[in-house]
Amino acid sequence: MGTHILTVEDDERIRQAVKLALEEEGWDVTEAGTGESAMDRFSQDPPDVVLIDINLPGMDGFEVCRQLRRDSDVPIIMVTARADTHDVVAGLEAGADDYMTKPFAPKELSARIRAMLRRSRNAEQGNMQRVKVGELEISPEEGLVTQGDDEVHLTKTEFKLLCELASQPGKVFSREVLLERVWGYDYFGDGRLVDVHIRRLRTKVEPDAASPRYVVTARGLGYKLQP
Amino acid sequence: MLAQAQLLAETEGLAVAQMFNNAADLRRDLQLESAEIPDILEGLPRTNNAEVLLLPADGEPRSLSGLVINDIPTDLRALVVQGRAASKRSQTESGGQFAAGVRIAEINAEYYEILSLTDTEATLATLRRILIGASVTATILGAGLGYYFARRLLLPVTNAAQAAEAIAAGDFDTRLDEQSDPDLAKLTSSFNDMVEALRSRIQRDERFASDVSHELRSPLMTLAASVDVLEHRRAEMPEAAQRATDLLSKDLMRFQRLVEDLLEISRLDAGAVELDTDTFEVMEFLRRVVAQSTTPDVPVVTDEPGALVLRGDKRRLQQAIANLLDNARKYAGGSTQIFVERHADRLRICVIDDGPGVDPADRVRIFDRFSRAGSDAGRRDIAKGVGLGLSLVAEHARLHGGRIWVDGLTPTGSGARFVLELPGIEVDMTGELEELAL
Repeated sequence: MGTHILTVEDDERIRQAVKLALEEEGWDVTEAGTGESAMDRFSQDPPDVVLIDINLPGMDGFEVCRQLRRDSDVPIIMVTARADTHDVVAGLEAGADDYMTKPFAPKELSARIRAMLRRSRNAEQGNMQRVKVGELEISPEEGLVTQGDDEVHLTKTEFKLLCELASQPGKVFSREVLLERVWGYDYFGDGRLVDVHIRRLRTKVEPDAASPRYVVTARGLGYKLQP
Repeated sequence: MLAQAQLLAETEGLAVAQMFNNAADLRRDLQLESAEIPDILEGLPRTNNAEVLLLPADGEPRSLSGLVINDIPTDLRALVVQGRAASKRSQTESGGQFAAGVRIAEINAEYYEILSLTDTEATLATLRRILIGASVTATILGAGLGYYFARRLLLPVTNAAQAAEAIAAGDFDTRLDEQSDPDLAKLTSSFNDMVEALRSRIQRDERFASDVSHELRSPLMTLAASVDVLEHRRAEMPEAAQRATDLLSKDLMRFQRLVEDLLEISRLDAGAVELDTDTFEVMEFLRRVVAQSTTPDVPVVTDEPGALVLRGDKRRLQQAIANLLDNARKYAGGSTQIFVERHADRLRICVIDDGPGVDPADRVRIFDRFSRAGSDAGRRDIAKGVGLGLSLVAEHARLHGGRIWVDGLTPTGSGARFVLELPGIEVDMTGELEELAL
């Protein structure tokens, strides 16, 4: 069975066209027209990737995203109408891993989906040594992060981001480098992806997210894991 | 001065009249011969303490206050002796004086009165001081009151001006305070109504941009996905269908670009743009931009030693450079090179071509929306492209605190050089670069 994608989109014609194009790219596609039916489909037949349009009648895309994130780390791609609105940041904060702007090229979406799936597989493999920084312990091979005795639950993208920073503790990673290594973006990726994921990461691994001890900002340059 | 002269003339006129009256009295009284001269002199009414001197031709001068002949101005006396009534104003050590005299033929005597003008002058001086003082006080008081009332009156106007400035700067929450003055209250309420109308108008425009964005993007999404399917199945199509698919695909891209540009422009107009800034090395950035552009082989060149660093919104600057490259491709067969140079603390990114150039008359207009340079048909092909690209470059340059212009490469005007000038930054990143993971 191929990779299974759930697309949540209320516009009938877009839904059909995107389904056709994604199937043409070789993916299995399930459709949902509302947030509520998306939740049903998700629980009946969990997909490998979810594509959610933000503008949905009733339960909107952000809410779908938040509900999915409660007990799943499935890769989520948000579809927004505009790239420069707060929708993007809000979508990422609701738990999305990446976003696309309408109208996107199905080829580009396929590339993003492949990068995500690679990410979630790599995250569990990895050939990195275990890293311990203060109370924080990162075990790339087990895909495990612990804070003292407690396990910290991260999404695949958050985990990959933390592993990347932990690969060279103390070194500063620019947003570009992180975009390329974690998201598979070229030079012109959206730096907000990194910023919001760093924020999300901090709320999970930092004792006080407002004054980070582990994931530190190097102003104007990027981020680093403070050894 | 006029008042002073008038006052003196009046005093003198009065003194002369008094002198004649007194002389007439003297003539009458002295003809009685029974009266004592001192008593008579004593009994004369005197104006302003005038001093009197009776000078009989054949007797002792008679005076009440020790006035002597020498006190009488000689030229006055000469006139009086000839029998003429005369008067003279003169200056003595103790101040001004007015002397008047007449010959009383009946008693064969000269009669003089001398009036000291010192008092009058003192009065005048005091008056002058009072007048000057009063006018100075009035001026100061007037200015002060004027300033106070002007401020009080103009305060609402000043407030309105400040409010208008704030509104022009985009703060649509600004309102004027309620005024008790009925005229001002009317002005204030219509001002506030205007701001409210303006605010809702602008919000409507912004919403319109966002609505248009959503409305256009949805069909474009369906088109993009459908064309993608057609492209996948291109090989299975008859030739005519293949060509139609290619046309559809190309114009869909053009349509998407146009919608993107229009939305970008309307966002800029709504002032809703926030720059997402990064610090980056310019040469690397430009090579990446060129590689992704429609003309990926354009060389990026500089003579500057060391790293050239910019702080800016990479997505927007990419769009700007890509638009310049696109413009060169459409009108000049492609850019020949991108040349980067420092100019003082600014950085100039020059997109150069060896095409027909831009007519000097069009060099400003070319950055207007939907303007297509080409008043001179020989220089540019008017039918190509839609003129939003260059106006977007200008907007992006402005947002970054920079500017864009175009000049010619040669005196004859052939070849074009589009210069995007941006504020550069001096950073010594050597320390940080070492700890940067690459």
